[in-house]
Amino acid sequence: MTEWEKFVKQFITLGGYKRVLDGLLATIEIAVFGLIIGIIIGTLIGIVKVMPKNNIFVKIIDKIFTVYVAFFRGTPMVVQLLLGHFIVLPLMKINVDAVIEAIVIFGMNSGAYVSEIMRGGINSVDKGQLEAGRAVGLGYWTAMFKIVIPQSIKNILPTLGNEFISLIKETSVVSFIAVTDLTRAFRQLGDATYSYLVPYLMLAAIYLVLVLLISWGVKAMERRFKKNER
Amino acid sequence: MNADFSNGEVMNKNAQVIIDIKNLRKNFGSLEVLKGIDLQINKGEKVAIIGPSGSGKSTCLRCINQMETSSFGEIYFENDLITDCDPYLHDGIIRLSKTFNRLMNSGLDENCAIEKIKKERLLKKGEGRAFKLAKKEFEKNNKIDVNVARRKIGMVFQHFNLFNNLTVLQNLTLAPVLLKIKTKEDAEEKAVELLKRIGLEDKANVYPSTLSGGQKQRVAIIRALAMEPDVMLFDEPTSALDPEMVGEVLELMKDLANEGMTMVVVTHEMGFAREVASRIVFMNEGIIAEENNPEEFFTNPKNERLKEFLSKVL
Repeated sequence: MTEWEKFVKQFITLGGYKRVLDGLLATIEIAVFGLIIGIIIGTLIGIVKVMPKNNIFVKIIDKIFTVYVAFFRGTPMVVQLLLGHFIVLPLMKINVDAVIEAIVIFGMNSGAYVSEIMRGGINSVDKGQLEAGRAVGLGYWTAMFKIVIPQSIKNILPTLGNEFISLIKETSVVSFIAVTDLTRAFRQLGDATYSYLVPYLMLAAIYLVLVLLISWGVKAMERRFKKNER
Repeated sequence: MNADFSNGEVMNKNAQVIIDIKNLRKNFGSLEVLKGIDLQINKGEKVAIIGPSGSGKSTCLRCINQMETSSFGEIYFENDLITDCDPYLHDGIIRLSKTFNRLMNSGLDENCAIEKIKKERLLKKGEGRAFKLAKKEFEKNNKIDVNVARRKIGMVFQHFNLFNNLTVLQNLTLAPVLLKIKTKEDAEEKAVELLKRIGLEDKANVYPSTLSGGQKQRVAIIRALAMEPDVMLFDEPTSALDPEMVGEVLELMKDLANEGMTMVVVTHEMGFAREVASRIVFMNEGIIAEENNPEEFFTNPKNERLKEFLSKVL
């Protein structure tokens, strides 16, 4: 049997495709929901970072966020997954599906990166925009969410796309906490036949297609945003 | 005179005075930009603030709606305090301070002690509980949320600051709708009416980036009007415009003035100040160096710096 025939047999006749589809779904779920959580956390942190630090409450929150960002940017993704899965969750006696665990940890990790992106984005918007919002009587948060954030999102869209791409690729380590993602599914296909050439090439190709799709999607969104302002 | 709650006096409610600025001071770090501004603006008045650059005129204007938080002094909008309480303006509160007690114990009489504290600005952070409570009490009785005051204080900026992510119409309706002052329908109706007034009703659904500078500034003015303000602040509204667009903006401002809008305008347009203002304030180095009606102000200036300034700009 050639490499290709071995793969086809394993993939189709023996039902390996089901595992791959599940893996693909897990990969996409973790990246998409992770990014959503990341954007929510990142926006919150980003806003607090640029807020005038004129009361003690804001100062304390700001310090907490600084530590948060330092931790999640300063330790490897895998280590965060291991800590979460083997230490934090057992300590808290929480028992959830490993995919959900991965989503939350990826979201928290992504939040740290998005917060820096968001801070840059907010700073890229002319401060007169916030002032004008405050001058008509809007509160800080309302003015931020209705005026400044929408404009900064437009500015940071390409960078946010990059974040999504890194997230998709980074999901390949979730097998450390026993999630079957795309990578793990293909590895198991290879393991079953002791023949890795086709599965791993295929694996690479699928990641590549996913990433190209995202880049294309981000470009399309950018174009739409631009058209909106003409 | 001064609202001094400790005497049980109630603030003298004067419906005529819209803005009352008392001993306003503003520091940026160690730089003192405003060194004690006292200014009252009455209903219907058009006050032009002029002065050399760096004189603090824009900062003063921006303090009125607390876009710049003031360091000392108090600002009242329609008799409501919008800044923190400044103890230096309240003898009754000074009397409760530790510094005052210390000076009294050292043998000064009451009035001398208060004078000394005011003059040398001796109040520090820890002036004791009674002092702090009195400040809090005064704020509780007089202070309102600055966001509420800002709804009634329209502001027009040098660089227009239209919301770039919203259409012209949305620029006009955003605040009234979000703040639940108007329903969406009412706000839109009012917005269209205002756009017709400036002849830009066909621009309702375009984004600000497609407007000319003069159009942007006129939209910015009616954005403030959409909130139906009691007073309008203009921060050098024509300084960033191409010369040929200055006229259309000034025309609109003149119309507003004629309708009786209370206006405070920081400007370099001497012609406009002369024609429209009911009072002109000349600021120099953080203080009001001279204020007068336009006629006297331009024909018979007294302050040396003002004479020099006028000789350069007229």
